[in-house]
Amino acid sequence: MLSILYIVKNRVREERGLRGLSQADLAAGLGVSRQTVIAIESGRYSPSLPLAFRIARYFTVPVDMMFDPEEEVAT
Amino acid sequence: MNKVKHSRFLVSVLVFGAGTVMAGAVAVGHTWTDAMITEVITIVLAAAYFALTASHSDIGDIYAQREDERQHEVLVKAQSMAWRVMILTAFVCALIAVAGNHNYWQADVIGSVGGFSFLFALMAYGAHDEQSASLSEGVMAGRQHHDELTVPEETTGE
Repeated sequence: MLSILYIVKNRVREERGLRGLSQADLAAGLGVSRQTVIAIESGRYSPSLPLAFRIARYFTVPVDMMFDPEEEVAT
Repeated sequence: MNKVKHSRFLVSVLVFGAGTVMAGAVAVGHTWTDAMITEVITIVLAAAYFALTASHSDIGDIYAQREDERQHEVLVKAQSMAWRVMILTAFVCALIAVAGNHNYWQADVIGSVGGFSFLFALMAYGAHDEQSASLSEGVMAGRQHHDELTVPEETTGE
């Protein structure tokens, strides 16, 4: 069976850098742990839909500009 | 499902209390030395819990019941793995008990309660037909509503 792995790229690190925020600042602003921010930025964790919207709202960026779900890898 | 969050101190005290009760049971059924060992282990566990939950690591946040969604996923995966290991261990223990002609009613109780709890949880948390039906009705209702809102061609001014 062909399985497709979706990789959701995001611009969290770039947006955070533009605003001069630390990972701890962003984590506090979003109400998540710093480890979760690290995992999202490194692409190891794709946030849930509510958290994705929260991130987009936090940076006042449209959610589809913050996350790019078009990357897909067939394994 | 709402989760009741307890303070670190309260949980530590509860661990200490439960361990002390267990130590009392050990003192009644076994020796004072065994009871003292149980009490020491209890104190170490309670202190370790209190110290561990002070840290803002994944383990600290999970034990302190302040985990976020990713940490909750970590918790579910860890529980799932622990569950599998526990089932396998219980099976081996039951096998040894049966082969040695020992009492194995405890294994029966644990297996039955665990199995029925799992089935109950599947029924409680799984999607039901009523929910599916209402969901599709909701979609259809939304479609009808959308149709009602569609602007007729004659009103477009052509």
